Amino acid sequence: MKSARQAELGSEARQALWFELMQFYVREAWLLDERRFKEWLNLFTDDVLYFMPRRKNVLRRELHREETSLGDLAILEEDRRYLEMRVARLETGMAWAEDPPSRTRHLIGNLEATPLENGEVSARTAFLVYRSHLETDHQLLSSSRKDVLRQVDGAWKVARRTIVLDANVLLDKNLSVFL
Amino acid sequence: MRSLQNYAIIDPATGKLDRRIFSDQAVYDDEMEKIFGRSWLMIGRETLVPEPDDFFHTYMGEDPVILTRDGHGRLHALLNMCRHRGNRVVRCDDGNAKQFLCTYHGWTYRNDGTLEYVPGESEAYYGALDKPSLGLIKARIETYAGIVFATWDKDAPSLEAYLGDARWYLDTLFNRRDGGTQALGPIKWLEPVNWKTLVDNCSDNYHVATSHLSSARVQTRFIGRPPLSHEDQFASPNKHAFVNGHSITFRDADDNAPRYVHGITKETMPLFQEYHNATMAEVERRLGTVRAHRVQLGNHSIFPNGILGLRLALPRGPLKTEFWHFVLVDRDAPDELKRAIRIGSQANNGAAGLFEQDDVDNWRQVTEASTSRLRRRHPQELSMSLGHSGAHPDYPGMVSERYISENNQRLFYRRWEEFMNAESWADIPLAPISARFEGSATMRG
Repeated sequence: MKSARQAELGSEARQALWFELMQFYVREAWLLDERRFKEWLNLFTDDVLYFMPRRKNVLRRELHREETSLGDLAILEEDRRYLEMRVARLETGMAWAEDPPSRTRHLIGNLEATPLENGEVSARTAFLVYRSHLETDHQLLSSSRKDVLRQVDGAWKVARRTIVLDANVLLDKNLSVFL
Repeated sequence: MRSLQNYAIIDPATGKLDRRIFSDQAVYDDEMEKIFGRSWLMIGRETLVPEPDDFFHTYMGEDPVILTRDGHGRLHALLNMCRHRGNRVVRCDDGNAKQFLCTYHGWTYRNDGTLEYVPGESEAYYGALDKPSLGLIKARIETYAGIVFATWDKDAPSLEAYLGDARWYLDTLFNRRDGGTQALGPIKWLEPVNWKTLVDNCSDNYHVATSHLSSARVQTRFIGRPPLSHEDQFASPNKHAFVNGHSITFRDADDNAPRYVHGITKETMPLFQEYHNATMAEVERRLGTVRAHRVQLGNHSIFPNGILGLRLALPRGPLKTEFWHFVLVDRDAPDELKRAIRIGSQANNGAAGLFEQDDVDNWRQVTEASTSRLRRRHPQELSMSLGHSGAHPDYPGMVSERYISENNQRLFYRRWEEFMNAESWADIPLAPISARFEGSATMRG
């Protein structure tokens, strides 16, 4: 389903947008893996909603119920202040789940970008995150992100992020890394 | 530790606890039989199956169980195992269905467990199959304030007797409002932890000011959470109580403060205070003045594996536990209040929760300490506040003098021995109900 604006954009402009956003996501991945979380926070708008619904086993005919909706208990339902709090916690020297910290590798791809009528862009990506912690703990998280991005002072920022993990019972001991 | 039917794992005089119960497969197998096979197990909430033919998939220990509401509105707890070869008949987390079809050979069960249809019943079985005896295996089911419990043991006492005087405290959370509670969730994840460590931690307030200090500090700074320190905790008037295996911690103060929950911030505090005030008359009517004003349930566990409201520690082998996190909210609470609790809950107690995150590696290494030759020779040291608990004039159960105490942990492992050394329910002691249950609240809500 194409929006009116997307139809208006020529192929060159679409390629430029795709390239710009891909750079944005690759940069984000490096910031996370290099543990530059304060810089990572700059990639979000002040009114961001950072949301990770639960994912249920339902019959194919009921797939509309597979992801829980906003208002039900989510794995994450955070605003900017909560994200800042999570980052500040890592610097206390007592955030035991991440001190010593996890070793992560975020691989991101499958970008599709759709300009919206209001000037924002809807972007979806797929990612794999490998996490290694302490001596032998390790986990591979597979997931999609649906973002709404907005230009703020000439830079793209994420205004809404919905992360949908490809898991029902999470196999990780905790989710202490950013996705 | 074990000399045939005789476990002695905790020394009551010293509080020293044998670590081998956290990793020994034979002990674990025995627990599944003697504890999870006998106890009333929390499995869900009525609001998870609100309509006729709704079902919710849950577990009793390791056994998969379907909580159903049949067409007449009756609840059932059915073992999710086709009686033919053992395939599961439900693979969804929840849904609505009058019948469950086994996808192997097509045996079909009604949602009350009755075996209704077998392909080839006359042609292949020659009419000789004893269908009435081959319904889904059914557990006994009872509810407390809408929370559903089930047991496999026909000799288990009533749920009311099983909870006993613990309910005097539990009512202050589960049975507070006429409209009852509702459960949001669950978030599910696997922790590399023995199930008992999760449960005994519910009375371990000692760990909070160390394990969770970073989370508490940033929340005080960013959202105005009340500060947390060892000093506050040692001076706290709060107490522990223990009844029939159930570990209670409770706030003992008559200062008109709302019960502390994650989600109370400087912005939401007025909302919680307003709600507390607005509902007090109803709470007094339901629970009487003492419980309405002076008693607030804190962290707690319902023996064996129900913890902190409706959260489940589901055993998955000695070294693994599947954790289910629900958050309970009063059904008739305002939406903004429910939202605040929901946000506080995900931020602190879910898989990504700030408090929860920092527990796991501690618990995991406590479990793991029982796996190597030398570490397992050195017992856990649960000696804190030995001799500083007993009967209390105002409060039922075995009550500690202070909030920071290992009394409940010692008693939890004593209760474990009582179950593990019993031949049947006849050998398991049960404290009589002696508390005064003022107010109108009952088992039924």
